[in-house]
Amino acid sequence: MKKWILIICVSCLLAVGCSEKTFKPRDIVNETDVCKVCNMSIVHNEYAGQIALKNGDYEMFDDIGCLIEYIAANGDEEVGAAFIKDAKENKWIDVSKATFVYNKDYWTPMNYGVLAFETQEAAQSWMTTEGKGQVLTYEDLSDFNWGIHQ
Amino acid sequence: MKKIGCVLLFLLCISSTAYAKFDIQEAIDRAEPGAVINIPAGYYKGNLIVTKNITLRGEKGTEIAAVGEKPAIRIEGADAVMIDNMTLSGKKGIVASEVEGLALRQLKINDVHSAVHIQHGENVHIQHVEIVGTQAHYSKKGNGIAIYQSEKIVVEDSNIKHVQDGIYVEEVDGIVVQRNTVENSRYGTHFMYTENAKALNNTYASNVTGLMVMMTSGITIKDNVVIHHNDMNGSGALLYDVQRADLAFNTMKNNRTAIALQKSAEVQIMHNHFQMNQTAIEGTKVDDQTVVENNQFTGNILTARSDQQGYRLSSNYYDDYVGTDLKNNGTGDVPYVAVSSFGQWMVQQPVYQYFVASPSVVLLTSLDQQINKSARTVLVDETPKLMKDQSVKKVDMDIAQFLLGLFFILSSVWLWKRGLME
Repeated sequence: MKKWILIICVSCLLAVGCSEKTFKPRDIVNETDVCKVCNMSIVHNEYAGQIALKNGDYEMFDDIGCLIEYIAANGDEEVGAAFIKDAKENKWIDVSKATFVYNKDYWTPMNYGVLAFETQEAAQSWMTTEGKGQVLTYEDLSDFNWGIHQ
Repeated sequence: MKKIGCVLLFLLCISSTAYAKFDIQEAIDRAEPGAVINIPAGYYKGNLIVTKNITLRGEKGTEIAAVGEKPAIRIEGADAVMIDNMTLSGKKGIVASEVEGLALRQLKINDVHSAVHIQHGENVHIQHVEIVGTQAHYSKKGNGIAIYQSEKIVVEDSNIKHVQDGIYVEEVDGIVVQRNTVENSRYGTHFMYTENAKALNNTYASNVTGLMVMMTSGITIKDNVVIHHNDMNGSGALLYDVQRADLAFNTMKNNRTAIALQKSAEVQIMHNHFQMNQTAIEGTKVDDQTVVENNQFTGNILTARSDQQGYRLSSNYYDDYVGTDLKNNGTGDVPYVAVSSFGQWMVQQPVYQYFVASPSVVLLTSLDQQINKSARTVLVDETPKLMKDQSVKKVDMDIAQFLLGLFFILSSVWLWKRGLME
């Protein structure tokens, strides 16, 4: 009997140890959260981003541009997952799977003009409503000229 | 019982709001360009729209309350509009777009989400505006005075409190912010993507950060008083991605970090007083043209901290300098070392700030100063200043007072001796 219990325990431990760690976004705390890159306090939650590091820490960002700048400067080896707020639904979505829309007239906290959407349809719908915009993928963001555009 | 009833009825009558009958919008619509519309004292509800060159002038007791989400006064595509001497309330105060020569004077804007919002303005003059936001967390509020994509702006002699950013400036070319007071808000004045800005003689107190300057080039910050910004993420002034900034003759007192520089270049910090801050100056990714010169550092826990690049310290007065001045030229004989191992760690991990005054950290900082004296490294002031005005003051003697004192002493001695003799 003891032998069986031991086998079950070891199997459980192995199963837990081998399973892939999942990373979840955490809620924004307006009182204390500041952007890791630009130091602005996060007050416009609908544009915020965050990175869940593999060590369990979180880095918060006020704008997708700051999040991309952080990854560019520090690499993604320690990044467990990165999230950005869906501009329409105000919910966390995976940055790497998001569709982005850019227009210089879209206001964001850093005025980079890039918004994130969960699906291509949502992005397209946004552009149709606004009458302007340009679709970008996650890969496009690494080469994007972050800054204000006249 | 009747008396109580009468009193209650009287109170009810005097507390009810009396709505004024003057139709302001009708007067605006009928007015010729250049007209002055005098609004009688009274409480008005509505959302006024101004599209031509007129002056709206209130009296003592004139109040316009916005209805719903729309502002109390919207100004669109009009030149030389003046709004003078009135109180505004409601969710939004004034929203102006495509305006030139706009003047806002003698306004009180109370309990608003956002008070003044200007977009595409030129030659805008805002003065003597009192703004009080709502009592909520700053993330739930709007800005006091917000100016976007404009040029030639003056904001002066205004008092703002309990808003998100007191004065928010984005994409503005040429702005003077002077003699204003901003308290209990997120940022006192927030400059973004701005050129040719001046912040002069302002008082910033008890905000998260007094002056937030981001992606801006050509800014002068002079003669301001920046105090009590000691929130966990607070700074007196934070410059992020700023080129060509002059900070001079400011008093920075009791802040978590008095001046924080990030990714900035050609910053001149001169003739400022840094008093009782947790850290006086912090710099990361700052270029070698950045100079901290002729400032006074007194009572700060850490004078300076930086990354490996550092910045240049020159001819400052430090109250914790322990060197000598054998040449008596007002300059210390040995360099002042501001390097602090703990300070460098604190740059990496801000949460270490909570241990900054612990005995072990104080000891470590003292060791740093002794060990690094001979080392050529960052954050070393080769010419630290000593206070020159420490010479003994000439004592002015009051002869009459001296003689009177001498008389009393001699009298006391004589009386005492006489007592002994008896």
